Amino acid sequence: MTTTPYDTSTRLDVIDAAVPLAPSHAIRTLRLQREKVVAATQGSYDAMFSPSVEGLSVAERLLVALHACSVSKAATLAAHYRERLLAEGADRELVAAVGSGAPVADARLRTVLAFTASLIERPIEGDKASVDALAEAGLSTPAIVALGQLIAFLSYQIRVVAGLQALAAAEVSP
Amino acid sequence: MTTPIRIKGFTNEVLSWKPWLDPVDVGTATPAQLAALDEMSPQARTSPYFLVLAHQPEMLLQRSIAFNAIMFAPGGMPRAERELGATVESRVNGCVYCASVHAQRFEQLAKRSDVISQVFEEPASAGTTAREKAIVAFSARLGAESDKVSAEDVRALKEVGLADLEILDLIHSVALFAWANRLMLNLGEPVFPAAA
Repeated sequence: MTTTPYDTSTRLDVIDAAVPLAPSHAIRTLRLQREKVVAATQGSYDAMFSPSVEGLSVAERLLVALHACSVSKAATLAAHYRERLLAEGADRELVAAVGSGAPVADARLRTVLAFTASLIERPIEGDKASVDALAEAGLSTPAIVALGQLIAFLSYQIRVVAGLQALAAAEVSP
Repeated sequence: MTTPIRIKGFTNEVLSWKPWLDPVDVGTATPAQLAALDEMSPQARTSPYFLVLAHQPEMLLQRSIAFNAIMFAPGGMPRAERELGATVESRVNGCVYCASVHAQRFEQLAKRSDVISQVFEEPASAGTTAREKAIVAFSARLGAESDKVSAEDVRALKEVGLADLEILDLIHSVALFAWANRLMLNLGEPVFPAAA
C-alpha cells in the first residue's frame, strides 16, 4: 500500500479547485505550509473513490458525495461530484434527483442515501439499527466501513473548503 | 491527576468504545491493514475502533497521516488550542467519546480544565479569555453551520491575534473532528467506566 505521489508545488487538488484557489493565491501558499495535510487530504479523497474498494460501486460513492454536499449547501463540491458522475456516464435524472433530495426508486440506494443525510446532519442520531439496515440492504462489513468513512470524510472536506473560502474572503477585505 | 468533570452527559473521564461491527482480527490482518494501524499509533492494534476501520486499510492509512499531521505538526496554533477546537466540535456533535479523549489531551497540554467545563456546559459562551472565546465560537460555527462561515468569522479570530497559519490549523482540527465524530457515533458507542 503506497501513498499517491503528490507534487504540491505544481498540481492543484480537489480542495484548491473547490474553494477556488489559483496556484499563486496567498491562501494556497498558506495551505502548502501544511504540506502533509494537503497530501493526506487528497490521498484520502483518492482512497474514498478508489475502484479497488469492493461492495459499494464508485458511482454509488459519488452519489453519496453529491447528496452529502447538497444537503450541506456546499455548492462547489456538489458541482464537482455532479461533474464526475456525468463523466462516469451516470443517469442524468438520477443525478438530478439525488442532488435535489428527490426520492429514488432503488431500495438499496434509498437506504444508503438516508444513512448519508442522517450522518451528515444529525450524527448524534446514529444507532445500531441504522447500521443493521445497511447490512440488510446487502452491504458487507467492509462496505459499511467504507460508507461510514466516506460520509465522515465528506464532512471534513466540506469544512476545509468552507474555512478556506472564509480565509480567502477575509484576505480580499481585511 | 485529572479532576472528574461530568456535565450534561459529557465527561473528561477515560471511556471505552464498543463497535457495532466485527473488528479485524489482528492475528490474521493483512500487511496493509497492519501498516495502516501502525501509521495511526502504537496502540491502534489493540483498539476496537481502529480495528473496525482497518476493514478499509487505504482509507485508514490516509486518515491516520492526516490526523497526526493536523494534531501534532510543529509551529502554528498551540496544540492545546487544536485540542480545544476538537473538543468543541465533539461537544456540538454530541460525541461523548471524542469529547472525553480530547478534553483529557487539552488538560495534559494546558494544565487546566476550566474552559472544558464551560464548553460542556454551554459552548456558545465558553472561553476564559477573548482569544479562547473566539476560538470556541469559530469552532462551533464551522462544526454546526459550515455553510454560514464567513470573512467576518475569520476577522474575529484575527482581531484576538490569531495568525493565518493558526487559523488554518484550527480549520483543519475542527474539520478533522467532523470526520472522527461521525465514525465514533455511527460505528459503535461509548462505554462508561461503571458499565465497562
